Parts: sequence; structure tokens; C-alpha cells
Amino acid sequence: MIGDTIPPLHPDAPVILEMSHISKSFGAVTALVDVSIKLRQGEVLALVGDNGAGKSTLIKILSGFHQPDAGTIASKGKEVRFASPREARAQGIETVYQDLALVGDLSIYHNMFLGREYHKRFLGLKLLDNKKMRRLAETYLDTLGISIPNVNSTVDLLSGGQRQCIAVARSIYSSPTILVLDEPLAALGVRESAHVLGLIQNLRQQREVSVILIVHNYNQIFEVCDRINFLHSGEIVLDASTAETSEEELIRIVKSGLGRKAIADAAPEAVISLA
Amino acid sequence: MSLDLGAKKASAIRPGPATRKMAVKPPETLLQKAVVILSRYREASIAVVALALVVYFQIGSGGQFLTSQFMSVVLRETGRLGLIAVAEVMLMITGEIDLSVSGTFSLAPYIMTLMSVGWGVPLALGAAVGVALGVLIGFVNGIITVRFRVPSLITTVGSLFFLQGIVVSIYNSQPIIAPVQEPFNAIFGESLYDPSDPFLSWHTVTAFTPFLWTVLIVATMALILNRTTFGLHTISTGSNIIGAREIGVRTDRIKIYNFMIAGGFAAFAGIVNTAQFASADPQAGSPFLTLQAIAAAVIGGTSLLGGSGTVIGALIGAFMVATLNNGLVMVGAQATVSDIYLGAAIVTAMILNVQVDRLRTRRRK
Repeated sequence: MIGDTIPPLHPDAPVILEMSHISKSFGAVTALVDVSIKLRQGEVLALVGDNGAGKSTLIKILSGFHQPDAGTIASKGKEVRFASPREARAQGIETVYQDLALVGDLSIYHNMFLGREYHKRFLGLKLLDNKKMRRLAETYLDTLGISIPNVNSTVDLLSGGQRQCIAVARSIYSSPTILVLDEPLAALGVRESAHVLGLIQNLRQQREVSVILIVHNYNQIFEVCDRINFLHSGEIVLDASTAETSEEELIRIVKSGLGRKAIADAAPEAVISLA
Repeated sequence: MSLDLGAKKASAIRPGPATRKMAVKPPETLLQKAVVILSRYREASIAVVALALVVYFQIGSGGQFLTSQFMSVVLRETGRLGLIAVAEVMLMITGEIDLSVSGTFSLAPYIMTLMSVGWGVPLALGAAVGVALGVLIGFVNGIITVRFRVPSLITTVGSLFFLQGIVVSIYNSQPIIAPVQEPFNAIFGESLYDPSDPFLSWHTVTAFTPFLWTVLIVATMALILNRTTFGLHTISTGSNIIGAREIGVRTDRIKIYNFMIAGGFAAFAGIVNTAQFASADPQAGSPFLTLQAIAAAVIGGTSLLGGSGTVIGALIGAFMVATLNNGLVMVGAQATVSDIYLGAAIVTAMILNVQVDRLRTRRRK
């Protein structure tokens, strides 16, 4: 296992993100109730939960796409407020959404630099520096080991795995402090998943970027994550490190939809056996 | 599962075999090659059709078509249609459309002329006011479409009637004679070239000013669309609006700006038109003009689905529409027949656009 080669997160690693008591409703639908999460420097945090548990809403609040009804976000100890995705990005929070936010009609290198284009002056006009973007995209994708036929080809010609890699590479490129990945492995085959997991593992080893990962496959959680937060019906019911949780326990909790404490109350021997 | 990461340098991950696979098969048959070329250079295919039309009319009219005099008529119309078509292309790329341009086309020069006749405001200043008014109309169209989430098809049909109602009620629907003088006339209006005119003179240029303005604007817009951030974001907005927004593209603003461009271009086209005829006609822009401009955009290779389009194609498309409008009469057809050909051309162009797109994406693995 790869996880064995990566030392556990240093216990004194500073908390760089704290979302406290976040609530959000959409009309009559309550998406989040008093949710708090903490993320430390270099940590890879798995956000788990059923469909509709509120995972996507939570990260869309973090990335500035939605605004919370109540609660605060603190980045590096300072309270922040994101009115738009642009502001969240400016604070070093990069998000790769499920839909990848790639523009099919544009080339790979234009997608890589969308929203942060390089320019050159030509007769006083601010024109795109396509040559530079093309070169940078080529070398960068190469260093990540992402192999695509040609950075000039449009994204709608790529396979699902290639798209996912481009989207992840794009977010890592801006050297964010926090990287949010919303189900990056959902549509991928085993080999393609391994490649994306490799990108995450790589970040985990350097312990510079913190990652929030929404993922459904428990193998993958235990492979690349330091900690698990389980969301159920808009509430966090479990917050545990992967080192002190077993896959069986996680599955039991997810199935019951209850927290660790509730399960312990119902069947004490189950928890004792784990301890 | 072993990726053997720990041993390697952090930045060197071995590429998985899955991503090594080539995404695009190289084209094999002649048809596939043609599709590749067609999808990459749409302008080229439409240019070939336009050229064939010119040859046909030149032969059919016994050499009357390609005369400088007749060309100045065709090119004048190309200029007028092309300007509006380019504006529509930009909007269609963002996934919107503006059907109100003909209203702006009538209103802007009407205001310009009224200000000149009534208050003695110089035409140049009046023209600036007219273009500003067009931009403002575009801004309002954009705000209603983007902020109030009314589909632009509805927004602009509403503003079409609204503007048309205003322009005919200002002065009882009467055309006003515009006091077009030099150099305003030479810069914007002059458009007829007579065989007796000397070839090596300033007039050879000014005779084509309406067309030359459009060529200049098309070249500028082609540069903006393909070489600037604004162009990139315009394409992103139409291609994947949610994704573009997530990545930080200000899609609402992009749409509003393009509506403003459309309003400004429509006003400018109307002013050029008034300068040509030295008369501001409240009925100068009929909805038919808008539809012909949209036809030109579609024939030129812009799809209504958003995300892709070509302004140079729109200019060639405008030339084709103008050629059909004028050329069929030259070869002895009834004036009304041209609409039959135009209708067929629009549908054919659209079928081609969609099919080329489908074939292109079907090739992906």
C-alpha cells in the first residue's frame, strides 16, 4: 500500500481552515445544519455521505459558489467571506467540481489557463499569449505525468480520465493552499483512478497543500486520506482519523446513518472490539 | 495497487497506461479528412460556395455581375448585413440572440437626424449619441436577460416592438431628410461607383466606405474573439456556462457586454445606412433585416447552440445573402425568388453545421 510509505500528519500541523456552524437552506430544503469542519496544513480530508447529504453544498460554500445562511469560515485564523468563486480562488482555495468546469469548445491549454490567462502587449493591445500558455501547459502536464495527445486539441475530444487529470492539474497549477476535489474518481476506470489518486498522494507527501476529497469508495479513502468526516442529512456525525478507524466501522456507520456515539450506545461491544 | 510513489521524486509520477492512449484517431478516409478540414476551417467551405455563386452570376448575367458599379451595390448591402451579423455571431456564441437590432437600426439614425435638423447638432456628434443609445439599448436587453432571467428571444422581441413603436411615434412615421455633408458623406455614406469615375482617385476608396467599415470591424472582432481574454470568456460562456462560472468567468457581464456590442453595431449600421440615402426612415430596419443577418451568421458557420462561431464566416455569409438578393435579379429571375434560395441556403447550412459537429465529436474515443 502506498499509505504505508507516507508518514502520518504531524500532530502540530496548524489548522488552516475552519468552517464553523455552517447552515444553509434552499427554500424549504435544508441542506446543512450547524456543520463544522477543520482542516490542517497538508491534511487530506475525506468528506463522506450519501447523495443529498450536503457534501456538495458544503464545498460550494467553501469555494464561494453559495453563501451560508449562518456560520463563519476562517482561513489561517482570519475570518473570510467569499461572495464569488473568484474571491475564494484569490484566497488560495481551488475547487474541482464534479462537472470539471472544462470548456469543451476550447483547447486544453486555454482550459488550463482559463480565468488566469497570460497576456502580451501587441501594438498597445492586451492579447492572449497563446505561445506561452501552450508551452507552460505542455511542460506542466508532462511533469505531472499526464499524457495527452496534443495541448491544442479541444477538451471535448478527451476521455473522462484525461479530462479529470486536466481539471486536477489545472487546480494544482495555481499552487493553492486548499484543494477541493468533488468526486474526482466517479466516472473513472481502475487505472485512471490510480492516476488521479497518485496526484493526490503526491500532494499528501509534500504536506503543503491541504485537500478536501469527496469520494465514495472506502478503499480509496483509506489509501489516500488522513481523516474522515461523515455527513448525514446535513450534519457531521463522524470525525475520525483513518489511522484509528477501520473500514468495517466506517461501513457500519454509513449504513446506519448514525454517528459513532449513537452506535456505541446501541451496541457497546462493537466499539469495544475496535478499541 | 502499487504506484511506487514513495521512492520517486515528488513531481514525477509515472503516467498510467490509460492516459497514454491517443484520444484522436488520425483521419483515414477522404470523407473524414474533409470533415476535419471543414470543422477547422469553416470559413473556407463557405468561401468556396460564395465563389461558386459569384461565378454562376457572372456567367448568367453576361459579365454584368463583377462590375465595380454593381459590386458597390452588393458590397454596400454586405456591409450593412455583415455588421449586424457579426454582432449576432458574438451573441450566438454566448448562447443568446438579439432580435431587436432592427429597432435600434431605425432609432439611432432617426435621433441623430432629428437632433441635427431640430437643434443644429453636427451629424458626427449626433452619430456618437446614436451609437451610445444603441449601446444603452443593448445594456438594457442584457440586464433583462441576465438579471431577470428572461430568455433573450423574448426580451428582444419585446424591445423590438418597443423600439419600433417609439421610432414611428416620434414624428408620425415620417422619413426625415438628413443633411449629410462632406466629409461625413465620404466617411460613412458614399457608396456608388460609376464606371466613368476615375480609378486612381480617393473616390475609389470612399465608394466602398460602408463595406470597408464592416471589414475593419470584422477584422477587429475576429482579433477580439480569437486573441483576447474577452473572446475566450465569450466562447466559455456559451460552451459551458456553469463550468465557466465555477472557474471564475463573469458570464453575466460577458453576456451584457455582447448585448452592448450588438446594440452599438446596429446603431452604427443604421447611421451608415442613413448617410447613404441622406434620409432617416423610421421603417429603415425591418425585422426582416435582422433575420437576414442571422441567416448570414448561420450560413457562415455559427451554430445557434452557443460555444462556437466565426465572425469572418458571418461576413462571407452576409456577402452570400447580398449576392442572392441582388444577383438573381441580374440573371433574370423575379425579385421574390431570392427568398426561396435564401431559405434553402439557411437550412442547408444549418444541417451542415450540425452534421460536421456530430462527425467531429463522434471521432473521439
